[in-house]
Amino acid sequence: MSAGTPAEAWVWPPDLTRPDALQTSTAGGMSIGYPKSDHHLARIVMSSLADSRERLAAMSVHDLVNVLGTVGERLADGLDDRIVAEIAGNAGFTPAMAQVVVRGMADSWTTEALHRLLRSEFTDPTVLDGFVSDAGREIRAVAPGVTLHIGAGSVPGVTITSIVRALLVKSPVLAKPGAGDIVLTTLFARELHRADARLRGALAIQYWPGGDPGWESWEREILTRADQVVVYGGDDTIESVRAKTPAGTRVIEHPNRLGVGIVDPGAAADADDQAARAVALFDQKGCVSTHLILFLGNHGDAERWCGRLAARLEALSSALPAAAAPEGDLSARHQLRGRLAVQRAVSGDIRLWTGNAGAWTVALAPPEFVEPVGGRTAWVVPVPDLSGCVDILAPLARVLQTVGLAGLGARRHEFGEALIALGATRIVPLDQAPFPDPDWLHDGSRPLGELVRWAELR
Amino acid sequence: MFGRWDDEDAGIAGTITAADLTADDAFNRLALRVHAVQRATNPILRRFWDTGPGARPAIWHEIPPIPVMAFRDVPIVCGTSEVVFRTSGTSGGRSRRGEHHVPSLALYRAAARGNYRRHLLQGVERVLMVSLIPDPAVVTDSSLARMAGFIADEPEVTGAVWAFDPVKGVDVDAVRSAACGSDPVLLLTTAFSLVHLLDALDSRRLPLPPGSRIMETGGFKGRVAEVDRDTFYARVERALAVPAFNIVNEYGMTELLSQAYDGAAGPHAADAHGSVPPPGSSVVRRHRFPPWVRTRALDAATLAPLPPGQSGLLSHFDLANAGSVCHILTEDFGCTTEDGGIELVGRAQGASLRGCSLMAEPFLRVAGR
Repeated sequence: MSAGTPAEAWVWPPDLTRPDALQTSTAGGMSIGYPKSDHHLARIVMSSLADSRERLAAMSVHDLVNVLGTVGERLADGLDDRIVAEIAGNAGFTPAMAQVVVRGMADSWTTEALHRLLRSEFTDPTVLDGFVSDAGREIRAVAPGVTLHIGAGSVPGVTITSIVRALLVKSPVLAKPGAGDIVLTTLFARELHRADARLRGALAIQYWPGGDPGWESWEREILTRADQVVVYGGDDTIESVRAKTPAGTRVIEHPNRLGVGIVDPGAAADADDQAARAVALFDQKGCVSTHLILFLGNHGDAERWCGRLAARLEALSSALPAAAAPEGDLSARHQLRGRLAVQRAVSGDIRLWTGNAGAWTVALAPPEFVEPVGGRTAWVVPVPDLSGCVDILAPLARVLQTVGLAGLGARRHEFGEALIALGATRIVPLDQAPFPDPDWLHDGSRPLGELVRWAELR
Repeated sequence: MFGRWDDEDAGIAGTITAADLTADDAFNRLALRVHAVQRATNPILRRFWDTGPGARPAIWHEIPPIPVMAFRDVPIVCGTSEVVFRTSGTSGGRSRRGEHHVPSLALYRAAARGNYRRHLLQGVERVLMVSLIPDPAVVTDSSLARMAGFIADEPEVTGAVWAFDPVKGVDVDAVRSAACGSDPVLLLTTAFSLVHLLDALDSRRLPLPPGSRIMETGGFKGRVAEVDRDTFYARVERALAVPAFNIVNEYGMTELLSQAYDGAAGPHAADAHGSVPPPGSSVVRRHRFPPWVRTRALDAATLAPLPPGQSGLLSHFDLANAGSVCHILTEDFGCTTEDGGIELVGRAQGASLRGCSLMAEPFLRVAGR
């Protein structure tokens, strides 16, 4: 991409005619171009994807894993400084952060990882190719048709993961990447189109500004023609998509989430290190990002531990720097710190540690003050025991997802039971919180299982 | 001091509004004196200042500012409040409204009065006040409504028409009746209500009597209903026959008892506080506070002070806030100018790119706060 030329935020199947009129805008400080809103074009793209279904269905799942895994591996191996810089600029990360994030995400796109994902969900993955015997009957798993992925946000790689899942179950995909996930997604799509002719017609990428009234008819057209919809985003986005999607079309929702850590530092000397990384990675923009840390211990111990956490975050601010934050975010952080300083003057049980120029914040505070503001802000709340954790997390049940544990040892089952009763769906060692395994139960569902319907033949 | 608003406190009010505080030395002396009183009388402020940098300030700007959002959390007052003003909205998703506890309405009136007289009533003999700001008798906790009430008491004001109801909105008929009179109108309004009035008029004109003036405030900081201010004023002029030089923007906030105006209404009303640039002029309108307020633009990352012309987060030190806290860090973005004015940019913008992590506003909804 030469300077001044908008990056192409779309990749259509090669046999479609390139539209004459492109619209330009910016995403994450990057100039982008994409076909203009035209519901006739939307119909053409969706029909083309639907037509590719037969070709895709003819591929064996084994072949699909190999092609997709090879493309994923090639993508990760081919990341040079220029591409990483583009991904970083688009996502609002520093290149160092983008490098770590993409490599971590790409671990789920390897051939080995995809085989593992398939095996974890299907006793016999060939059930995606044809009927297989199953206790006196034959069963088959089939994706309903074209999957529409609607991404939101800025974490690079989220869209690719969603695309790979749909293609694995042989569903052609139209993917709208999040505004900060355009560069990597289009890179993947071009690589895939080159890799195997059978997949060329099965993937289209198209960015458009979500919620823009000018794209209303486009959205309605594709939502009407999609056979299932995977949507990421805030409540407003999800409600809007749900409202426009015809009854009977499956809508798979991945709303915004809050990551939590539970730490017993007595049994995990490096819990501060794990926590700092869980807070810093993705600059707290990921659904798995840790914002709140429940510290099993008293206030004094928590205060000493916060000092160590602060030192770790300071070290990470050099090793894994954050990109410059927008003024509004910086302002919000100053307001928050000032408010906590005032609150500390009132009650005395609040302590604050802050990095230079707002690089990170550690706030030791009672739970009623917790307010996730991003920007590597770790809220640490001392709690005496499990029931203290449950009391604090109960109001947040609806938005819980990843809970990272450090130092809980044998108590992790006891905590696990209580946490899943609240709504947490992923309870993992804190150091594994940032990057889910390929076969993780994404928001409480099997990521391939939720894309297929089952059929039986007796 | 400030426990009850006694003679000494009244003296402070007189000093603030009457003394020549344009010189930095005089301002600084009074600022440090008021700060010492606030520190002595408010233990929360004392602990706030004592635990951070600037525990012993030699100059006013070494006193750490209180973030404006803190007014949502705790009462910040030196002594007993006579009135509590509340912010109107729940911006940022926080359900709690900001509260400014004010120990003396007299000081508020003193701080506001000279300033609005200078910017709104210069050269006026008789004027009918029409307010699209709520009646302070109805909305008792609005600082803006209270200021409108002060203006209604001015000797030039022949009558006051309260043409806004918090439930029903703008009373267009009341404005129409006022337009039929012979006295010029002083229309006090939020930009939001003014847009509503114009929308209600549609393409019809409602010329206000010659010499009418408008004070509009709030909300948009340089942009009004998605159009720039000049375009908006041109629309106002077409609809209400009030020329742009008779339209003044006021910048104020519940947490500050002083206000800034971007000029003095009237065709030739130039003075030390600035006149409204003539129509078509390329001169940028600048807001000016009275001399008992100092404003700085601060680097958004480090809060280091920025030179005139460079935009940053605005902090204000308002001596009229003697009964609460003078130094306030706002969420507003703008720059100071060499001649002591302020150019407002608006509310600092957050990231356009959000991740899939839950952030403050939806979090607070979920958490029931």
